[in-house]
Amino acid sequence: MAKKPKIAFFDFAGCEGDQLQIANLEEALLDLLGHIDIAAFREVHTGDTGGPYDISFVEGSITRPEDEPRVKEIRDKSKLLVALGACASIGGINCMKNHMPESVYREHVYGDKARWYPTYAARPVSAVVKVDAEVHGCPIDRGEFVRIVKELLLGRTPWIADYPVCVECKIAGNICRYDMGRMCLGIVTRAGCNACCITEGAHCWGCRGLAPHANLDAARYAMQDRAGFTREEVQDLLRMYLGFSQATL
Amino acid sequence: MTAYTVSMEHIPPLLELWAKEYDVHVPVRDVDGFVNFSPWRPSAEIAWDYDVAYNSLKRFFLPPREDLLRFDLAASTAEPVMEAPLQLLFGVHPYDVKAINQLDQLMDQGTADVNYRKRREATVLVALTPEHVSDLAFWSSVGADSVDIGFDMYFTRISPSSFYVEVLSPKGEELLLARGELPRSTLPEREAAKRKKAAIRAKADKNGISFPWKQTPKLMSRHWDSPLWRNKARHCLSCGSCVMVCPTCYCFDVREEADLDLKGGRRFREWDGCMLPSFALVAGDHNFRPEARDRYRHRYFRKGKYIFDKIGELGCVGCGRCVNACTTGIANPMAVFNDLWEADNHES
Repeated sequence: MAKKPKIAFFDFAGCEGDQLQIANLEEALLDLLGHIDIAAFREVHTGDTGGPYDISFVEGSITRPEDEPRVKEIRDKSKLLVALGACASIGGINCMKNHMPESVYREHVYGDKARWYPTYAARPVSAVVKVDAEVHGCPIDRGEFVRIVKELLLGRTPWIADYPVCVECKIAGNICRYDMGRMCLGIVTRAGCNACCITEGAHCWGCRGLAPHANLDAARYAMQDRAGFTREEVQDLLRMYLGFSQATL
Repeated sequence: MTAYTVSMEHIPPLLELWAKEYDVHVPVRDVDGFVNFSPWRPSAEIAWDYDVAYNSLKRFFLPPREDLLRFDLAASTAEPVMEAPLQLLFGVHPYDVKAINQLDQLMDQGTADVNYRKRREATVLVALTPEHVSDLAFWSSVGADSVDIGFDMYFTRISPSSFYVEVLSPKGEELLLARGELPRSTLPEREAAKRKKAAIRAKADKNGISFPWKQTPKLMSRHWDSPLWRNKARHCLSCGSCVMVCPTCYCFDVREEADLDLKGGRRFREWDGCMLPSFALVAGDHNFRPEARDRYRHRYFRKGKYIFDKIGELGCVGCGRCVNACTTGIANPMAVFNDLWEADNHES
């Protein structure tokens, strides 16, 4: 590669936990820095050397009127725009509010100052501008991020898992949560996390979004009719991360 | 076949001795009651009476992720990577030995899979007659109730404190006698082992396919267009659980990852399966099996016909793992074969 690509990080509504994951790469990050120039990355250094950028990583969901022109401007200045993390790629937990009345969530967040802070239903970045690639997860998987960056640097299309978490659970040798009488969204959620939550004893929350061929009818059948969970329990879990998808309908 | 009688108290010191040379894995029950092959420790309590190990044993020969090559991008060179730790699997049920025997044949067909072969050759298999049969198992009806090849030793418990141990290979004999001579089994002990095997087979016979299993390939051929595929696949999550847990499914994907310096990297393989939507996706975005029902049918044709056409056995040993793993309850070779058989008899 003749010239180091110019990389920038931007954030919208989110906790910046994905950028934190990248900052936490530590030594691997230093190695990566040998291949790239960082134009903007506010968790690591101050300032922005300005566009155009070769790759912009955008974290967070779009949920305020002023977010839209900003993300469009970033899009205009970027050759590739990559949605970073669940809020950006699928709307994430911010979309829980999409199922509440606007006055309720605005007051819940901003209290008596609510009228000064207009926000509306949260959306993933792709609902506003064209997104070239997505790094999934809440937070993103550091190892996967490094691999995706390496693949982009080598001019390859990054490999993104297109099957459900169940595959990675079987690879890990985990006991299925359904065998333990628990609910789990691994049956419809895109893999790539190495089934980390299940491996650590929890269940899948769906943070990587729906797998491309997720069969939601079958998932409901598994969760309600077979495993015996109520529609409310199923809906609560589906709305946690998948609020922007049809999964919650 | 030579057989020895081994007392229970003889086994822990034997395992300890073997563990000096081999990675020894034994069936161990976890706190939730699930049994898995786990590394042997002196404190390990062997689950002698387990009905089925939660995870199949294929991971010992075909690890879920395995490096195949190291490559150098600048020099355009590559070196094969072959890892094969010496391992000893203790307490493998006959249907699982059968599954491994199938893999042995299938992985050797065409271009032999050298990584598999190496791991297999570095493995000592110690079989064990089951004491219990899983409710979901149907191994006795698919010809997987007994094996006579593939293992090095075969343990059958003939009393609370003793085992009848058949040795099949010189390696097995050497390992069994590693702590000194053992008494050869007597005729009554051999009879006791035979009775034990017959008793467990009788238990297993309670659940099974309702016709001679050798008829399955012909049965399948008659049912390519059965409505069953669509009806069942309606509930298919395309999650791949059935193929991942299957002891005889061996498909994998091959990928590559560069090192951080982007100068070299590794090629590795990872479990893949025909139930996953992108398995049959090829260049030009064409998918040979785009619908869940295509993939579902394909899996049962693999199990009931295609593997039979290659090696003369069903590609299913009746362990019941897929039946358990399928959260929507559609993965069940026994139910599928029986349903088709019934449909046939109603039509004719």
